[in-house]
Amino acid sequence: MLIRATGRRLQMSRNTSLKRLGLTKAVNDSANVSAGDIASLLYLWNPWAIVTCVGSCTSPIENLMVVIMIYGACSRLAPLAAFGYVMATHLSLYPAILIVPVILLLGYGPDAPPTRVFILKEYDKQTSLKVQRFSWMTVLHFIFWLFIWSCYVLLLSSIILKKVGGLNEMFEKTYGFILTVKDLSPNIGVLWYFFAEVFDFFRGFFLIVFNMNIIFMVLPLAIRLKHRPCFLVFVYTAIVAMLKSYPSAGDSALYLGLLGLFASELAEMQFTFFLFFGYIGVSLLSPVMHNLWIWRGTGNANFYFATGLAYTCLQTVLVVESVGSMIKHDRKLRLLVTS
Amino acid sequence: MPLCQWHYRDSSSANPLFSTEDAIEANRFMKGIEAAAGVSIGGIDLAKFISQQIEDLGAEVCYHKFLPHSKHFHPLKFFTSMTNDMAIQPNGTDTNFGINTIGIIRAPRGDGKEAIVLVTPYNSRRVDSNELLSLALGFSVFSLLSRAAWLSKDIVWLAADSQFGEYAAVSAWLNQYHNPVFLSHSMILDTKIYDGNAEKAEFFTFKRAGTMSAALIVKVGETRRYGDRDSVTMYAEASNGQMPNLDLLNVVHYLAVHRQGFRVNIAAFSSLLSSAWLRVIAEFFHNLGTVLRKINPDWKLDIAVPDYVEGTANLANSIYNQALGVPTGSHGAFRDYQVDAVSLEFSPTFNVRNENAKSLLLLRGGRLIEGVVRSVNNLLEKFHQSFFLYFLTAPSKFISVGVYMIPFALLLAPLPIVAAALADGNKSMEKLPENLIDNGKASVNADVLQNKGGSWKWLQAAKVLLVIQLWAVCVSLLPYYITQIPDFTPMQSAVIWAMLSIIILIALYVMFGSPYPAGVEWKLLKATMITSISIGLGLMSIINFATAQLGALIVIPMCLFSRPLKAGSGMHSLPRAVLLISNITLAVLGFPPAALLIMKGLSKGSWTVDVGDFWVWMEFLWQWSSATYLYLFLVHLPCWLLCIHVLLHPCRQELKLKQE
Repeated sequence: MLIRATGRRLQMSRNTSLKRLGLTKAVNDSANVSAGDIASLLYLWNPWAIVTCVGSCTSPIENLMVVIMIYGACSRLAPLAAFGYVMATHLSLYPAILIVPVILLLGYGPDAPPTRVFILKEYDKQTSLKVQRFSWMTVLHFIFWLFIWSCYVLLLSSIILKKVGGLNEMFEKTYGFILTVKDLSPNIGVLWYFFAEVFDFFRGFFLIVFNMNIIFMVLPLAIRLKHRPCFLVFVYTAIVAMLKSYPSAGDSALYLGLLGLFASELAEMQFTFFLFFGYIGVSLLSPVMHNLWIWRGTGNANFYFATGLAYTCLQTVLVVESVGSMIKHDRKLRLLVTS
Repeated sequence: MPLCQWHYRDSSSANPLFSTEDAIEANRFMKGIEAAAGVSIGGIDLAKFISQQIEDLGAEVCYHKFLPHSKHFHPLKFFTSMTNDMAIQPNGTDTNFGINTIGIIRAPRGDGKEAIVLVTPYNSRRVDSNELLSLALGFSVFSLLSRAAWLSKDIVWLAADSQFGEYAAVSAWLNQYHNPVFLSHSMILDTKIYDGNAEKAEFFTFKRAGTMSAALIVKVGETRRYGDRDSVTMYAEASNGQMPNLDLLNVVHYLAVHRQGFRVNIAAFSSLLSSAWLRVIAEFFHNLGTVLRKINPDWKLDIAVPDYVEGTANLANSIYNQALGVPTGSHGAFRDYQVDAVSLEFSPTFNVRNENAKSLLLLRGGRLIEGVVRSVNNLLEKFHQSFFLYFLTAPSKFISVGVYMIPFALLLAPLPIVAAALADGNKSMEKLPENLIDNGKASVNADVLQNKGGSWKWLQAAKVLLVIQLWAVCVSLLPYYITQIPDFTPMQSAVIWAMLSIIILIALYVMFGSPYPAGVEWKLLKATMITSISIGLGLMSIINFATAQLGALIVIPMCLFSRPLKAGSGMHSLPRAVLLISNITLAVLGFPPAALLIMKGLSKGSWTVDVGDFWVWMEFLWQWSSATYLYLFLVHLPCWLLCIHVLLHPCRQELKLKQE
C-alpha cells in the first residue's frame, strides 16, 4: 500500500514536470500506466517475496521500514522518514547509505527531469520558470527527528540489554557480525566462497575492500542521478542486495518491487527477456545445486557458487540497463524540448 | 567405448579363506532351515532359526519389525523423499508385519566406526529353495567372517523379509538405522507373541554398527543356461538414475571373472539383441572401421559385430533404467543414504538339486563375497575416486559423464541463441511499420515516449506460459484425487484423467483469456517456449541425466521446427510441404503418451495400444517418487502444448502488416 501511494506521488510529480515542459500529449498517452499499482502488484506477487514470508524471515519487516522511509521522504513528512530510516538502519546496517537519496528527496522533492531541461525550456520560451530550490528547512527537520528517534531506539536497547552486556555488546554482535563476516554458511551471495579461501593475514584487508565496494558507488551515482532520488533508492537497494555480506531472497524482493515504480520511464529497457528468464532459471537452479552438493554428495561447492555468480551477473545487468535506460529517457526529454 | 583405466584392485584378496568346510557348513544350515521352513507358521520360525544360528556363532542379533509404506500417491512425497520418510509403525496387536533379522560382528581390530552390509532377502510367506540357498550362502560367509582375523570393519548381515517387497524391507531397516523413531514402551511389550523367553526381549532393541561403507545384496536366481559357467548378474541403478561408484562394480567384476571363473552379465534389451537392423548398422560400422584402420593404424574403430550389438543393447538398457528413475533392486535404498551398493544375482548353470553343482556354487559364491568384503575392508575411505555418473555398455566397459554429456550440450546450446534471436527479431520488426506510418512530428513525439509496451511485449507470451504451467501442475496433481475413488480400472482412470485435464484447460482459458485474441506474436511464443524448455532440460539434467537426454532428443526437434501452419506464404511449395509434414509428425511424437508408447515398444517389443497402460506406467513412476514423473508433466507436457499453440497460431498480425 505504501508502495502504491509512493507511486501515485511519483506519477503526480512526473505529470506536473512534463506539463511544465509542454509535452502535454505525452502526458495523455502515458496516463494509463499507473506505476504505483504495477509496483505494488509486483511486490506482492513476487515469488521471492512469498518464499521469504513462507520461510518466516524478518526481511519483510526490514523492507517495510525502507518503504516507510521512502514514502515519508516523497510526501515530505520528515518524522515518518526519520523513523523509517532509524528502524531500517537498526535492523540491518546497509540502509544507512540511503540517507543520501532521502536528503535529496526531502530537499528537492520527488523525481523530475534534470534541471538542465527546465533551463533549456526557459531559455527557449523566455518565460520565467521557477527552478526547484533545495529546501533546507525540511532537511534540518529530518535531521532533528533522526536524532530524536535514534536516541530513543538506543535508549530502549540499552535498557533491555543491560543484563546481557549493554550497547557495546549489541553493536559488536549486530554491526560487527555484518561487517566482519564471521559466519561462512553458503548463501546466494558471493562473499562466503571468497572468505572461505582467503588467508587470515589478508582477511582484514579484504574486509575493508568488500565493504568499501558499496561505499564507493554511493557518491558517483548520487552526482549523476541527483534529480531522481527515488530511482537512486532503487539503484542503491539493488547494489546492496548484490554486495552485502549475507544476501537473501528478501532483499531482491524489495528492489524488484521498487523497479515497478519506474515502469513508464523504463519501458525501453533492453535485455528484459534475458533478465526475466534468467531470474527464473537461477531461482530454480540454485536449490537443486545446493541439494546436489549437500545432500546427494555428487556435486561440490563450485556448482552452487556458479549459480550465485550467475545471479550476481543478472543483477549487474539489471542495474546497468535500468540506469542506462533512465539516462536515455532524460536525454530523449531534452531532445524533445529543444526540437 | 573405453575401458576404464584406474580402478581399485586389492591384492590381498588373492588367497580366499572360504573353503569346502564352509560349504559343508552352508549345507548344514540349509538342511536346518529347510526343516524349519517345513513347519513354519507365518515365517517367524525362519527368523528364530536364523537368529539362533547367529547367536551360536557368538555374534549380536537383533530383530526389526516393520510395516510396508502405503504406496499411495502423495504430492509432497517428491520433495520430502530426501528427508525422513515416516513408515507406519506396527501396533501391538497387528500380526501382519515383517521381521528383518540382523546379525552384527564387531571387528576385533576395528574401532566400530564403519560397517559393511550383506543383505540376503527371502520371502517369509512363501520361501523357495533358491532363497534358502542364498540364506545359506550368506550365513556361511557370515560365519567365516566371524572367525577372520583381518576384519577391521564391522559386518552386518541383514536377512530381509521380502513379503512386502525386497525394497520395502531394506528401506524400512535403513530408515530406522539412520533416522530413528523413538517409540513408547508398548512396542517392547508385545514380545509376548514369542515364547515369552526373557532372553528374546533384548533382541528387539535396535542395534547399529556405524557408518556403512558399502553394501552387497546377494540372491540366488533361477537356473539359466548362459554357457558352461555359472553366471552373476549385476544390478546397479538406484533411484533417479544414481549409480554406485564404478570402483565397486569393477571390484566385483574382476573378482568374479578373473578369480572365480564366473560369467558376469548386466541386463540388456532382449529385443535389440536379436534385431536385424542393428546388425546391419554394426556391420556398416565394422567395415568403416576396417577401412579407417587401413588409412591410419592408430584408429582402432573396428568393433566386432557381436560386441557392437551387445554393447548397444546393454547401453540402451542402462539409459532406459536410469531414465525411468526407478531402482532396479533394493540396492537403490542404500543410495539414498550415499552408501555404494550393488545387487548380485547368481544363476547356476546346472540345477541346484544336484549336490555337486550346489557345493560348487556355494564355494565360488562364498569366495567372491569374501573377496569383495575383504577389498572393502582394506579401504581407508569410501569409494570416491572413480565415476559416479556413467552408463554401462558391458560389465567392464562404461561411458563416463565427460563423453555422454557432449551430445546433450550440443542439443541444448542453440536454444538460448534461437530464443534471443526470435525475441530481438520481433522488436526490430515492430519499429519498421511505425516509421512508415507516421509523418508528423507530433505523432513521433507520442510514439517515442509511449512505445506500445516497447521491449516488454513478451510479457503476454510469458502470461500464456504461466497459465499453461498452472494447468500442468493441476494435471500432475489430479491422480491423487482420482486414486481416492476406489475400484477403478486403469482404463477408466486414464480416461477420467484425460477428460478432467481438458476441462481444466478450457476453464483456465476462460478465466485468463485465450492466447490468440490477445495478439501474441507467434515468434515471441516460440521464444518463450524455447527458453522454458532450455531451463527445464537444464534442471532435469542435473537431477537425472538420462531422462533429460531422452527428453531432449524428442522435445528439441519439435520445438525448433515449429512454425505456424498458416505462416510461410512466401516459400516454395516443396520446402513448405516438408516443413508442414515434419511439424505434424514431431508434434504427434512429442505427445507424452505417444513417446511412452514408443519406449514401451522398443523395450518390450510389443506395440499394442492400451490406454490403461499409460495409467499403470504413471502409477509406477509416482509410487517410486521418480523425478521422471515431474519432468513429464511439468516440462514435457507444457512444451508440447505451447508447440501446438504455435502450430495453430492464426498469424493475424503478419497478415495485417503484409496488407499495409
